[in-house]
Amino acid sequence: MPASSNRSTTTDAPARPPRVRRLHLPQKLRNLELFLLLIACGINAASVVLVQLGALGRIDTTLVLLGAGLSVMVLGMHVVLRFVAREADPFILPIATLLNGLGIAMIYRIDLANQETGLSSASVRQTIWSALAIGCAIAVLLIIRNHRVLFRYTYIAGFVGVALLLLPLVPGLGREVSGARVWIGIGSFATFQPGEIAKIALAVFFAGYLVRNRDSLSMVGKKFLWMRFPRLRDLGPILVVWALSMSVIIFQRDLGTALLYFGLFLVMLYLATGRLSWVLLGMSLFLGGALVASQTLDYVNGRFQNWLDALNPDVYTADGGSYQLVQGLFGLAKGGLVGTGLGQGRPEITPVPQSDYIIASLGEELGLAGIFAILALYLLLVARGFRIGFAGNDDFGKLLGVGLSFVIALQCFIVIGGVTRVIPLTGLTTPFLAAGGSSLVANWIIVALLLRLSDTVRNQPRLVV
Amino acid sequence: MSVSELTLLVLRLGFLLVLWLFIFGIVYALRSDLFGHRARKMQPDAGAPVGAPAAFPSPVTLPPAAAASAPTEQFAARPSPAFTDVDDKATSQNATRLVITSGPKAGTEFPLTGDSITIGRSGDSSLVIRDDYTSTHHARLMLWHDKWMIQDLDSTNGTFLDGNRLAVPTPVPLNTTVKIGATSFELRR
Repeated sequence: MPASSNRSTTTDAPARPPRVRRLHLPQKLRNLELFLLLIACGINAASVVLVQLGALGRIDTTLVLLGAGLSVMVLGMHVVLRFVAREADPFILPIATLLNGLGIAMIYRIDLANQETGLSSASVRQTIWSALAIGCAIAVLLIIRNHRVLFRYTYIAGFVGVALLLLPLVPGLGREVSGARVWIGIGSFATFQPGEIAKIALAVFFAGYLVRNRDSLSMVGKKFLWMRFPRLRDLGPILVVWALSMSVIIFQRDLGTALLYFGLFLVMLYLATGRLSWVLLGMSLFLGGALVASQTLDYVNGRFQNWLDALNPDVYTADGGSYQLVQGLFGLAKGGLVGTGLGQGRPEITPVPQSDYIIASLGEELGLAGIFAILALYLLLVARGFRIGFAGNDDFGKLLGVGLSFVIALQCFIVIGGVTRVIPLTGLTTPFLAAGGSSLVANWIIVALLLRLSDTVRNQPRLVV
Repeated sequence: MSVSELTLLVLRLGFLLVLWLFIFGIVYALRSDLFGHRARKMQPDAGAPVGAPAAFPSPVTLPPAAAASAPTEQFAARPSPAFTDVDDKATSQNATRLVITSGPKAGTEFPLTGDSITIGRSGDSSLVIRDDYTSTHHARLMLWHDKWMIQDLDSTNGTFLDGNRLAVPTPVPLNTTVKIGATSFELRR
């Protein structure tokens, strides 16, 4: 003991300073996030109260469970961010919270109309799924400390994505719900849409694959008109993804999912190569495929007819006709500019008003002003994702950030476009809003990945000496 | 308890209003994304007309001291900032860049944005210094009450401000050498 103290006094001649006082800097981004988060939770609680006032005429204690469950989870996620991703984007979490909460309020409203209560009601299930999804998001934040780790698992991610996509086709495991075979289930309950998770795995795969191989896809080729077209032998990847999405249309009978994956690949391909010819090529491939499918496959043909001739009484009354679509449009029309008010419309008349048609339900009760507010929230969320992608220094992070946020944008377009009769109606979930556990889990994982990306982007070295 | 129609109408319009206020709040918070960063203090150009700063109202409200010292007589009184500003503490107003003055990358510089700057060997530092004398998380430069402070993060070989080893977080004057390992840098206008 004396020896060591002796040595320390001789070697550390300018005596080592005592432990320094740490300056505490406020985490400005996190404080802003907390502020917005509290407002979002307040709006969510207010929406549940308004639903109760409108539908029941009194305030119920169910509010405690519905409002507080989500709020506690997102505040927990906020605390986790304070420790593991201090510089993460402060807007993504409040926006996702608000969308999720509005969805729960609307689902609760439809439960009230159908007089469903207790654990079997969709709103309680949605709350539990939200908690589970946010738990997954927290786990992703804790496990993935740097998005570049995902780059190592490019091909594994691709394999997992395709496997998840094909899982519903396995006999005994797959479930067919309203025509589309995109569900898996064990026993009679616990159904899950693996395709939702597949979109994340495929985004990781596309990003990693394109970063590795983009040179051959972007540099060479013949120039024709004003664009450079790829060589025939470089068409492999796009044809494989095209074949995959066509098989989804044929075997799983799901137009929306196919469009989602193919659109995702096309956008990331355009992003990686910067060549418009890929987009034209891909779009003509998909449109060609869809056109052939609409001629040969009954259900696609029906969707097209419902879209083009929705208000025809024959189509309206036909089995599998445009009844649902037109009911949704009537609901939106009833809503008008400011809506009937939460809890005061009749959204339950439309079939499946809480999942595919939640946007029509919200449109009826919140009106055009409310729908545009929701679209603005999506716009802000996607814009933040693009911004994170653009700010990144590494190509993988750029592609992943833009790809993940584009998935949300495209999914919104496909669903909301379908409900509002801009494009043929296809079955997809509205991100964060619609009832459905797999969609919630997938979208909250996307939120976690975007937060992680934004944190690493802000922590990049400015100068390396 | 029954609620009147009028209350419900007010509540539902209020709800939409709050929803939109939330959206505009977010848009306001990210206005720097839409319109670019706020301009820092404008250094009047030597060749620019004297009346120019007054003619264009600056979006940034300068603090009174900075506004008073802005125009031209200052240039006559201070021929070179390198010798006269030594006693000035670097603030967010007067320091605009970090310049490496010795070491392998001497001469390089980068702009100061107001975010704190971590210095160390680890890849997540803002200023990565890779030599044998630098600790993983060595020191941190940050704005504290609008002054640039340097704090040593318990590094092995210490951080030296103008030749003195730092014990506590210390304000950094302009144009004063901070030495970390084999690299030294200064904060400059």
